[in-house]
Amino acid sequence: MSTNERSLISRFAMEVVTGCIALLAGIVVVLGALEYEIGWDEAGPQPGYFPFYVGLIIIVASLGVLVQGFLNRSRTTGEAFLTREGFKRVMAFFLPLAAFTAGSYVLGLYVGTFVYLAGVMIFQGGYRWPFALTVAGGITVFFFVLFERWFQVPLLKGPLEAFLGIY
Amino acid sequence: MLMKKALTAATALVAALGISAAEAAWKPTKPVEFVVSSGPGGGTDQFARTVQSIITKYNLLDQPIVVVNKGGGSGAEGFVYGKTAEGEPHKVIFGTNNEWLLPLVAKLAYKPEDLTPVAVMAVDEFLLWVTGDSPYQDAKSFIEAAKAEPGKIKIGGSQSKDTDHILVKQIERAAGIKVIYVPFKSGGEAATQLAGGHVDANTNNPSENIGQWKAGGVRPLCVFAPERMAKGEPVVDGKGWADIPTCKEAGIPIEHYQMPRTVFLPGGVSQDAVDFYVELLKQVREKPEWQEYITRTSQSNRFFVGEDLHTFIKNNEDEGRAVITAEGWLVK
Amino acid sequence: MDNIASLMHGFSVALTMHHVLLMMLGVLLGILVGVLPGLGAPNGVTLLMPLTFSMDPISAIILLTSMYWGALFGGSTTSILFNIPGEPSSVATTFDGHPMAKQGRATEALTYAFLSAGFGALAGVVLITLLSGWVAKFALRFSSPEFFAVYFLAFASFIGLGGASPFKTVISIMLGFAFTAVGMDTVSGNVRLTYGFDELLRGISFLVAVIGLFGIGELLLTMEEGLRFEGVKARVSPRKVFETLLTLPRYWVTLLRSALIGCWMGITPGGPTAASFMSYGLAKRFARRPEGFGQGREEGVIAPETADHAAGSSAILPMLALGIPGSATAAVMMGGLMIWGLTPGPMLFIEQKDFVWGLIASMYLGNVVAVVLVLATVPLFASILRVPFAIIGPLILVICVSGAYTVDSAAFDLWMVLIFGVLGYVFKKLDYPIAPMVLAMVLGDKAEDAFRQSVIMSGGDLSVFWSNSLVSSIMSLGILLLAWPLLTRIFRLLRPGRSTGTTTA
Repeated sequence: MSTNERSLISRFAMEVVTGCIALLAGIVVVLGALEYEIGWDEAGPQPGYFPFYVGLIIIVASLGVLVQGFLNRSRTTGEAFLTREGFKRVMAFFLPLAAFTAGSYVLGLYVGTFVYLAGVMIFQGGYRWPFALTVAGGITVFFFVLFERWFQVPLLKGPLEAFLGIY
Repeated sequence: MLMKKALTAATALVAALGISAAEAAWKPTKPVEFVVSSGPGGGTDQFARTVQSIITKYNLLDQPIVVVNKGGGSGAEGFVYGKTAEGEPHKVIFGTNNEWLLPLVAKLAYKPEDLTPVAVMAVDEFLLWVTGDSPYQDAKSFIEAAKAEPGKIKIGGSQSKDTDHILVKQIERAAGIKVIYVPFKSGGEAATQLAGGHVDANTNNPSENIGQWKAGGVRPLCVFAPERMAKGEPVVDGKGWADIPTCKEAGIPIEHYQMPRTVFLPGGVSQDAVDFYVELLKQVREKPEWQEYITRTSQSNRFFVGEDLHTFIKNNEDEGRAVITAEGWLVK
Repeated sequence: MDNIASLMHGFSVALTMHHVLLMMLGVLLGILVGVLPGLGAPNGVTLLMPLTFSMDPISAIILLTSMYWGALFGGSTTSILFNIPGEPSSVATTFDGHPMAKQGRATEALTYAFLSAGFGALAGVVLITLLSGWVAKFALRFSSPEFFAVYFLAFASFIGLGGASPFKTVISIMLGFAFTAVGMDTVSGNVRLTYGFDELLRGISFLVAVIGLFGIGELLLTMEEGLRFEGVKARVSPRKVFETLLTLPRYWVTLLRSALIGCWMGITPGGPTAASFMSYGLAKRFARRPEGFGQGREEGVIAPETADHAAGSSAILPMLALGIPGSATAAVMMGGLMIWGLTPGPMLFIEQKDFVWGLIASMYLGNVVAVVLVLATVPLFASILRVPFAIIGPLILVICVSGAYTVDSAAFDLWMVLIFGVLGYVFKKLDYPIAPMVLAMVLGDKAEDAFRQSVIMSGGDLSVFWSNSLVSSIMSLGILLLAWPLLTRIFRLLRPGRSTGTTTA
C-alpha cells in the first residue's frame, strides 16, 4: 500500500510545466495582438495595444514563476503534486468525463448522457444493469423534456435523433 | 421562370383560401430552428421573436420553432453557423445587411453567397439626432457647426465599421465635414449617451431613440430616406415621424440609407424550401401583430423576395462597399 | 413624498391573489433555472415570454421579475452545496459558502445567503422607491470615463496581494483579460485573437469558464482527495434555520456596507457580478479579523449575497428609466416590454404609472415570497446530497456540461468546459488564485471599451479620467483602495502592537 502513496509528479515539475504553459500562452497572445496595430494613434490605443501588453505581462510573470520555482526547488521536489493513489482516483473520474465529452460531441448530449450515466453507475457504482439503465434513461428523458419542450433550449443532437426524426 | 411564378401564385392562392400549406412541395419534417444573429433583446432578436410569436399564435407551422441566439462577432457567428448547416432547410437565419457587409471588413469563415437569401421583411430607417437642448435646430446648422470646427463634433453609434459607422462616414463625405465617431456596444447605449450630452449626435434607428425623444432628451434633425416617413400618431408636441425632413431636403445630400431585416436559409437548399418560407413569411406579414410591430418600431413595411431581393442586396452591398473601400477598411 | 403615495397605489395594483400566485409560480420556476448552471434567468424569461403575450403587462412583468428573483436565489444554492455557481453573480458566494457546507454547515450558509440576499434586494427596492427620479438623472451623468472608473473601482477593491505568489496572481488576472479580448472588438470592429478559428468568434464565454473552473475543477479535487462529498451531508432542521436567523443582526456592518455597494453598482453600470466581488473584497479588507476568509466565514457569504441582490434589484431602475439593459435578463425583459407595447425610457414613469409602481410594489412582495419559498426548499436541495455519489456525481457533471452547452448552443464549448476544468484543478493545486481571473473576465472587455471610448472622446487626452468631480472622485477612491493594503502595513509599522491586540475582540 505504501508504495502507492509515492509521489507520481512532484510539485516542482508541475510548477515548471505550468510556468512553461503560461509562457507559451503569453507568446500566443502577443502573436495574436501583433496582427493589429499595437500603438496609440489620435484615437487612443489601437486594437492590438491591450492584448499585446497583457501577453507581455503574462510572459514576464511566467518567467517570474519559473525563477521562483527553481529557487524553491529543494522544498518542492520532495512535495507531491499528485500521488499514485490520487492519480488513479482523478483518472477514474476524468477519463469517463473526457469520453463523455468526446462521445457527446459526436453522438449528441442525450446519447452521451445516457451512456455515461449508465456506464458510471454500472462499472464504478456497482449497480445492477436494469437499475442503472432505468435511472440513466429516466434522467435522459427528463432532460429531454426539460430542455427541448419546457425551456425550448435545444441541446446538441447527434445521428440518433436525426434517425428517429426527433430533430 | 414562368413555371415558378405560376407555382408561387398557386401556393399563394392555396394559402389565401385558408388551406394549410400541406400541399406545398416541401415542408418541415422536424422542429425549425430560428438562428438569430444578435444577442437576446437586440433588434434582430425582436424581429425573429415577433415572427416566431405570430407563427405560433396562428399555427402557421405544424412543427415547433426553437430560437437560438448566435450573436458573436457582430452576428458573424450566426452566419458561419448557417454556412456549416449547408443543405439543411430547417434552420432559418435572421439578420440585417450585416450578412453581406461583415465579410468586407473582417476576415470571416463565410462568404455572403454561402447563404440563400429568402426575404427582406422590413427596412429600418436611420435618423440624425441631437440632444434635446442642442443649439442645432436643423441639419444645416449642425453641418455648418461641424464645418467651422473640424474634428470637434462627436457622433455616437453602435459598433465599429458597422451600419452606423458607415453612415457617419457617408455623412462626412457628402457634407464635407470631419467628426469623431464614438462606437458603443449598442444603439440603446448610444441613445443614453446622447441624452446625457456626452456626444453631440447619433444616427440611431427610430425605435432606439423614441423613448428619449418623448422625454425631451434627444431631438431628430432629419431622416436618411428618399421621402418622409409614414404618418403616425404625433410623438412630442404634436410632432410626429412624418414631420421630420429628409436629410436630402435638409441639406445633407444622401439619397437613402436603410437597414433591411433579412431572412436567410443555409446554402444548397432546394427552391421548394425557399418558396415554402416565402409563403410562410407572407402569411406572417398579413397578421395584425406584424403591422403592430412595424408601427411600434417605426420601420418601413417592405417585402423583397426573388429577383427584387437580389437587386436589393446587390445595390446595398455596392453602396456599402464604396464607403468601406474608400475608408480602407476592406479586408484582403 | 409623492413616491410613497405612488407606491401605496402600486401595492393596491400588485396585491391580488392572482398576482401573488403568479409570483410564486415565477419564483419556483426561477429557482429551477437558477439551480441549473448555464440555464439562467435569461432562458427562463425567454421561456415565459410567449406566455405573457396574452397577459396584461403588469401580470406579465410580475411573473418575469419573480422568476428573476427566483433564479438569483437558486444560483446561490448550487454555489454553496456544489461549488458550482448557478448564476454568474453567485461566483463570489462559493468562496466561503462551499467551505461552510463542507464543514457540515450547509444550513447556516444557505440561510445566511438567502436572508442577506433578501435584505439586499429590499435595500435596492427602497432605493428605487425613494430616489427613482434622482437615480435616473444621476445615471445619465455616466459616460465612458465614469464607466471605466467604476470598473476600476470594482477591480481595485477586490484585488489585493493575498497569500499567493504575486506572479501567479498577475498571470491569473492577465489570462482573464486575454480571454475577454477574444472575438469582436467593439471599438475597432476587428476580430481579435481568434487565429482564424471560427469557434472563437463569439469570444470565450465567461459562464462556460466559470462552470469549468469551479464546477468541474472542484469535482476533480474532491475526487482526488477521495472525499466524495462526505462532509457536505448535513441534516437540515427548521430550528437551525431559525437559530441562524437570530444571529444575522450581528453582521449589520457587513449587511449595510454590502447593500450600499450593491445599490451603487446597480445604478451605475457595474452590475451584480462585479458588485458581489467588490463587496466580498471589501468585507475581507475591512474585517476586524481578516483571517479565515475563504475557509468558511459567515461574512464571506453575507457580503456577496447582499450586494448581488441589491445590485440586481436596483439595476431594474436604469432599465426602466433609461432603456439600458444592465444584464442579459434585463435585455430580454426589455424586449418583452416592447412587445407588450411599452417603451422603456424616461416617459415610462410618467405615462405608465400603474405599470411602474405596480412593478416596484411587486418587487417588495416578490422578494419576500422568494425568501420564504427558497428557505422552504432548503431541505429539498440538501436532501440531494444524500443520493449516492455514484449517481449524483456524474449527474452534476452532466448538468455542468449540458449547462455549458446551453450558454451559446455551441458544441465547441463542451471542450472549453473540460479545458477550464483541468485549468481550475491545476491552478487550485498550485495556489494560483482563480477569483481574480474570473473578475478580469467579467470586467475586462467592458473596461477596455470604456477606456478606449473615453480616449476617443477626449481626442487622446488621458486627463479625461479626471475631467469632472464625479469621475475624479471614483478614480481617487479606486486608487485609495488599491493602495489600502500598503497603507495598512504602514499604519502597523507606525503603531506596533495594536495590530494583534484588536483581533480577539
